[in-house]
This record gives sequence, C-alpha cells and structure tokens, in this order.
Amino acid sequence: MDRYNYDPFHAIADPGRRDILMMLTKEKLSINAIADNFDISRPAVSKHIKILYEAGFIAISEQGRERYCELSQKGFDEVKEWIIFFEQFWKQKMLNLEKLLNKQSHKKPKK
Amino acid sequence: MRNKKVTHKMERDIILDWWYPQAPEEVWECLTNAELLGEWFMKNDFKPIVGHKFQFRSKPIPVFNWDGIVYGTVLEIVPLKKIVYRWQGGAAPGKVHLDTTVTWILKEKNNGTQLRLEHRGFKGMRNLFARMVMEKGWKKLGTKKLPKTLEKLGHGQI
Repeated sequence: MDRYNYDPFHAIADPGRRDILMMLTKEKLSINAIADNFDISRPAVSKHIKILYEAGFIAISEQGRERYCELSQKGFDEVKEWIIFFEQFWKQKMLNLEKLLNKQSHKKPKK
Repeated sequence: MRNKKVTHKMERDIILDWWYPQAPEEVWECLTNAELLGEWFMKNDFKPIVGHKFQFRSKPIPVFNWDGIVYGTVLEIVPLKKIVYRWQGGAAPGKVHLDTTVTWILKEKNNGTQLRLEHRGFKGMRNLFARMVMEKGWKKLGTKKLPKTLEKLGHGQI
C-alpha cells in the first residue's frame, strides 16, 4: 500500500512543516514534544503532521499513550525522483538542441 | 544578515550551462519559434509574448502519474538574451503538482552561445536537504540510503 495522497512538494512548501522535519532529523519525537516547540495550537501542529504523514515524509507509531513521529523515506524519494527526472530531461533536450542547430547550420551555410 | 549571493544559490533547483558554436540569433530562434521548438523540445503553441499562455505536450509518464502536459505562461522576454516562463504540470489529483519557472539565458561567448537553463521552484527542496545533511543527528535515523541520497542532493549531484 504505497499510496500517498498528498503532494510532497506542497507538503514541503510550508516553512513550519520544514521545521518539523528538521526537528525529526535529530530524534524521534512525540506529537506533544513537537507541539511544545511551536507557538501555534496543538490542532494546527497535528494538521501539519498529518500532511507530512500523507506525503510520506514521516511515519507515526504508538508507544503507550503517546504517538511518535520519525522520518520516512517515501516522500523524499518521490521528490528526488522528480528532480532526477528533470535533470535528465534537460540534458537530453540540450543535446537535441545541439543536433538541431548543427542540422540548421548545414542547411543554411553562413557566408 | 544573509549573504544575498548565497541565498540565491541555495534556492536554485536545476541549473545547466551549455555552449553551442552557433550565434545567439540561431539559438534564440530555436527557443522561440514554435515549429523549431517542436523539433528539439516538445510540441507546443509557444509565442515569445509576455502573458501568452501555452502548452508543451510530451508523452505521459505513468510512473509519475503525469499526463505529459506542461502549462506555461510567458513571464519575461528580452530579445536574444532571456526568456522566462512559468512551468506548471499536474498529475492525478493530490499527487505532485509542479509550479515552477524556467529561465533561459543566452550570452555570446567564444564565437558561439552560452546557454543557461534554470529550472526553479521545487519549493526549497534542495535547501532543505542541504540543511538536513548538516544535522549530525542523521546517524540516528538508521537507514543508510536516505542520508546518502540527501547528501547527494545537498551537494547538487542529483
């Protein structure tokens, strides 16, 4: 069930959500612990966490009465793949342009 | 407080520099003439007019759930020097939606043309990766692949 229903680029566009991910690079944290680090309300933090979860950036597990968040690779992979795709895409296009320009030059030799 | 140049660099997403032996006029023609664009780039209805809305059409990419259509709007035209357009592409609802900008910069160099492509707007993704790599706590994550990937992204290798 690798189906995530949230756009990772959108998930990451929010600075608050990026801050949450940054916090999680240090350690696994409970939702309460994350919320303590923010001025915004607990429900607002929960909403951010839900978005990050749905985009595949974090995994949530239950330990006792607390819910813990940690980084997950899925969201990062999707974003990475898009960036790799475009780097290849542009390189290929640059090469295509080179071919076309050479063809054009042969057709219309300069004086 | 931040150095402007560094900030600028941090925000970049994809930048490619290429040199062609042809004059800027010829390269410009290939970048702005819809018919020529169709030959090397993608089928399109591009016009070098600010505000013009157009589409690039290529093959759909099912892996990404992408229909292969790019929705563009011309943002800036400096004849023979610069082209900027908005580059938006959708996928299935809720999946990746790209809202990016593409900039072409042409410069005469060594009897040819230096062409720079900038594809920006992956929403600070690189920036985030770079910062994450700097965090020592990465080691605690336990997976080996992710930090490596992030490191590569942070250094612009991917």
